[in-house]
Amino acid sequence: MLWKLSMTGIKSRFKDYLVLFSGLTLAGAIFYMFMTLATNGDFLNDSLPVTSQTIRLAFGIGIVLLILITFIYIVYANSFLLSMRKKDYGMYMILGARTSKIGKLIFVETLLVGLLATLVGILIGIVLAQWVSSVLVSQLGLTLHKFIGFYLPALLWTLVFFTLIFFLAAFWNRRRLVKSKVIDLLHEDQKPIRLHHHPVLKNIEALAGIVLMAGGYWVMTQAMVFKANTIWIAFLTIVIGTFFVFDALFTGVINILSKNRHFKYHKLRSFTIGQLKFRLGDYTRILTVISLLFALALGAITVGLDFVHVTDISLQANYYDVQLYQDTPAVRKQLKKVSVREQTGFDYKQVKNKIYVSKEQLLNNQIKSQEFRIKNGQTEYYTITIKPEELVKNKLPDNASLNGLLALLPMGDNDVKVINQDKFNQLKAQNNHVSLLLVNNFKQNIKNIESLQRAGLPNKPSYELLRTGVKVRQFIEINAIAAGFEFMGFFLGIAFLAMLA
Amino acid sequence: MTDVVKVINVTKTYGKKGEKQYQALKGISFDVERGEFVGIMGASGSGKTTLLNIMSTLDRPTSGNVVINGRDITKLKNNEMSDFRGQEIGFVFQDFNLLENLTNRENIALPLALQNAKPDQVEAKVNLIAKKLGIGSILEKYPAEISGGQKQRVAAARALVHNPAILYGDEPTGALDSKSATELLETMKDLNRKDKVSILMVTHDPFSASYASRILFIKDGKIGKELKRDSKSREEFYQEIIAELGRR
Repeated sequence: MLWKLSMTGIKSRFKDYLVLFSGLTLAGAIFYMFMTLATNGDFLNDSLPVTSQTIRLAFGIGIVLLILITFIYIVYANSFLLSMRKKDYGMYMILGARTSKIGKLIFVETLLVGLLATLVGILIGIVLAQWVSSVLVSQLGLTLHKFIGFYLPALLWTLVFFTLIFFLAAFWNRRRLVKSKVIDLLHEDQKPIRLHHHPVLKNIEALAGIVLMAGGYWVMTQAMVFKANTIWIAFLTIVIGTFFVFDALFTGVINILSKNRHFKYHKLRSFTIGQLKFRLGDYTRILTVISLLFALALGAITVGLDFVHVTDISLQANYYDVQLYQDTPAVRKQLKKVSVREQTGFDYKQVKNKIYVSKEQLLNNQIKSQEFRIKNGQTEYYTITIKPEELVKNKLPDNASLNGLLALLPMGDNDVKVINQDKFNQLKAQNNHVSLLLVNNFKQNIKNIESLQRAGLPNKPSYELLRTGVKVRQFIEINAIAAGFEFMGFFLGIAFLAMLA
Repeated sequence: MTDVVKVINVTKTYGKKGEKQYQALKGISFDVERGEFVGIMGASGSGKTTLLNIMSTLDRPTSGNVVINGRDITKLKNNEMSDFRGQEIGFVFQDFNLLENLTNRENIALPLALQNAKPDQVEAKVNLIAKKLGIGSILEKYPAEISGGQKQRVAAARALVHNPAILYGDEPTGALDSKSATELLETMKDLNRKDKVSILMVTHDPFSASYASRILFIKDGKIGKELKRDSKSREEFYQEIIAELGRR
């Protein structure tokens, strides 16, 4: 009978349950979506070729953040569920329902609602993950490898995590219900929250909140000093600080307002203040969660957007868009698909392990190279023209011209000799030519340009180093890393915003 | 006659030790005899609701005992308390407290269902009490579809369907218009007279109180005065209550 009652109870408050349920479903969906990213090793390894510590850390923090937020969200939704049911359950108890039975009821109800929401959430998550990834891929021009909506480990992780949380929530609800007096259950919605008038404590709280927040943001600006700890320190201080500030500030403002008679009794103000006071505790928590979710959403999207910028910067690492070392029919065919803006080049000859280039050619053709310097913690690229006189010194690594020239030659050692054109002509060796191109629409036409670049690089071991050093390759790789992060950023940003709704 | 409710030196103090404490009940003792209709009157804050909560197992006294039908309810454990509530106590509230998502029939059957009664029995008992209270025709409707007076009758039927030892009323006429209130009080009087239902009603309305056979006045957490109706007419008793209230 009680089960039937419970079900009819749910039916009668279907709208409230729908809100609760959809919220939990969404939380499940988002968690699943993130887990598809975080647990899919193939995707990570493929899309993010540099599986460095930073990336692992970023995912680790992402998971912890998401777990925390999901946890807060579920605790919140859970207390909503409990408060929704309190009056009914109080009534059942007055009519003779056993406490233990009511406890069982709320336990099963919480768990059932939670697990159902999780399952539906995972289903939605699968569809959404597939959809979002395809949209992001097409909209942002990202390339994602091996990213699929359905991924079993992600599903299992989500299931385990949510089951655990809902078990905890169910236990918590049961405890709360069993421990509270029947009379309190009946009048739950009429209980105001007492304002604790402790001005000194509140002031300390406000101060602590501001100090914590300020400290957190300061640590973030000093990311270079604190390194990986930055995020943890900032995370803790800002979360706690935000809560303190809201809690103390809200109470303080309300108290000041209600003390000011002139203000208080003007029109409906005393009513409004009373309302605010009544629900103060709730508001503090809601505001904290909202502000943090906003921060996270914006943070994630900003990081995502910043990686677009990173990709753009990566384009500046090489001056020439394409470097061609052979002139085959394949190259000529591919050249027709690429619009060349500027073309230059120079000859080189290889004798044993030495490469010879002509001083005059370098001078006449004004061969350029990209250099970088670190300014205010940011990498800044600038263009230099390779100067043959510097090449004579032949010293690495601070010889910019030599660096620039080596990047254009197939052999990665420093055995480069700059000689006069006459001497160069007399050298008995095969004359090679490298064509250096600047093209239009590099990003848009990246596929054709990549094909051209590939055709222009001979399949010889000596060209191996160039294969990773050419602009196309670098762009594609950095773009892949950036795409991963960008994807994560937008993905999480959307997720956090959805949670806000 | 035996006592159905015995309240022995009950006190109730709110607030934790060491903090500001407030004593709502300062040692209250009285009995309700089987088949009696007792009214409890008192101003707001006199402690009458606290007393009712304690007598109805919803709250525990700080000290003292309450014995209902021979059992000391202050010594009951959690589940015993639930069962006791379900078997021995009936409640009628000011705001009805019907479950809106159940039909009136289901509402009335609830206490029986919670005690796992057999379906045939439930059906028979609900029909019987509904007939007594004159609500047989609205059993299949929902609480939202009936009037306030009818709602309170449904609530009363729910309170009485399991033949409790005592029926508690907490301002049962408080939310009703005077016609509905009078009808409900007449019904309660009939139940008391014909079916020997013991009733304890908390009210601050002298008209409602005049239906009782005895009235206890609570003031500042203590029982002040006691009025008995004896052979007086209801109107005479009403005047006596008014006079008593005017004296204070």
